[in-house]
Amino acid sequence: MKNAVSGLGLAPDAAMITFPIDMFLPGSDLTAIGARREEFYNGLLKWKSEFTQSASGEMPMLQVEGNSYEDALQKANNLLLTNLWGDGLPVWPATRERVDWILRGSALPRTHALGKFPPRGGTTTVETCSVALAMAGGRPEYLPVLIAAVEACFDPDNVFDQLQATSGGPFPVVIVNGPIAKAIRLNSGYGCLGPDPQRPAGASIGRALRLMQQNVGGALPGIGTMAIFGAMRYTNAVFAEDEASLPEGWLPHATQRHGFEPGTNSVSLMFASGVANVRRRGAKKETPEEDITQGLWRMADFMRVPNLAALFGWEKGTPGVMLISPVVAGMMAKLGWTPAKLREFLWENSKIPMAQLKRAGGPAWIEIDANPVTRDSLKLDPWPIAQKADNIILVVAGGDHPTHSQWLQANSPAVVGRVIRTPETFDRLLAESDRDLGCSADECRI
Amino acid sequence: MIKLEFHDPSGALEVTQAFAPRLDSLEGKRIGFVSNEQWQAFRMLPMLRDLLKADYPTAELLPIDAYPQGNALIPTEETAALVKKSGVDAVIVGNAA
Repeated sequence: MKNAVSGLGLAPDAAMITFPIDMFLPGSDLTAIGARREEFYNGLLKWKSEFTQSASGEMPMLQVEGNSYEDALQKANNLLLTNLWGDGLPVWPATRERVDWILRGSALPRTHALGKFPPRGGTTTVETCSVALAMAGGRPEYLPVLIAAVEACFDPDNVFDQLQATSGGPFPVVIVNGPIAKAIRLNSGYGCLGPDPQRPAGASIGRALRLMQQNVGGALPGIGTMAIFGAMRYTNAVFAEDEASLPEGWLPHATQRHGFEPGTNSVSLMFASGVANVRRRGAKKETPEEDITQGLWRMADFMRVPNLAALFGWEKGTPGVMLISPVVAGMMAKLGWTPAKLREFLWENSKIPMAQLKRAGGPAWIEIDANPVTRDSLKLDPWPIAQKADNIILVVAGGDHPTHSQWLQANSPAVVGRVIRTPETFDRLLAESDRDLGCSADECRI
Repeated sequence: MIKLEFHDPSGALEVTQAFAPRLDSLEGKRIGFVSNEQWQAFRMLPMLRDLLKADYPTAELLPIDAYPQGNALIPTEETAALVKKSGVDAVIVGNAA
């Protein structure tokens, strides 16, 4: 609540009366309200903000001293944690030198304002991104992707203040298209949703975004974000589509969803609340047709659940991202499946019979949805998990292996695309990356 | 000694508007309630209204449903305009969890 208040431009300490969660449950004992009635009255009569704003509007530099560099580094990490600015993993303190180095990756001035990070409303500039990326172990060439992702987060269609705070715990999923992905060592293949020392960019970019969500946006667990479980929140999910493996005629995700020209460096941002595996491959002597069709049924059956996870994005967002490995995409294409046909199959066959939805109490959530179009969907039986097939995102990524697909279940009122801007000196940064890390498995500039 | 100096990562807060002044008394005041209808607000806010009525008998307490209710409707400009138009001296908003 304090975040929501400060995000509106008020001081962050509004008059609030807080109670343990038990009181907010059905059938709860409410006698504490009577016992603490004076607090309510004082909120209207006597309460005063105790917040003091810094006169300059600038944040002071932090300082630690140690007997050795290691000692100072430890103290810096301790200081960040005690101020609730860390994530439990070691961070690089964002020294002037490190932040200036990272800033070489920006096409924009360091003071360029990107907006107020919701819900807390912390001022967010290019430098703020650089500070987070420095802490997250990032490099300058990652900065353009992070800036584009932050810009996408701030799109009003995301209702980002609510996504930051909600108990469902959505996390940003940043899908990168364009040649920048390989150039900066962003993974599109094996293990693309996790760590990879050969392609480490996604971990740093996603971690930096999460640190910003917490430190600038106020999404501190149990205080600023009520995410009950908070999955994937160390690094979010930042990966690339494997464009080189797209079957002939299949458009890159950014082109299909956002209309960007193929080859454009871009991010596509959605929010997911989970990642689940779908065992896709057949186990015996299936024909190619059986293998693909049975796998698609398993995907659709998995999507056909009345948990209302994606209700927020029913009209304009997405019910989720289905990750299809390159080899499976190739098999599908050979059998005549196009992305449009696949989306249509998954959409049609993931519709939920109204009786099943009623049994699970789903209609009540649909009735109170903020979007009248979504509320109106209650007339539909079976009830589709999204307004239209095109809302489903298909991305070709992951290891070149046929057994599994993964479904990133959404909680995403929008899917927002942004073009990534790189500085004129970007090639030099990439060459320095090769110098520092050795030639990547995908490209080499030295 | 090794000194490390580094940036505060939190982003400055800019206060652009002040809170409404508090009331000198609740006696004779007109008080409204804005409910998101979540987290037992349908029980808590009427209870709070009854308490106010008992403790401040001269206060004018609007019905709990005087304004649109529910998470979907209370953050809208329309609701804000209705609250303003109703001429209340104070508003109690609930519930968050």
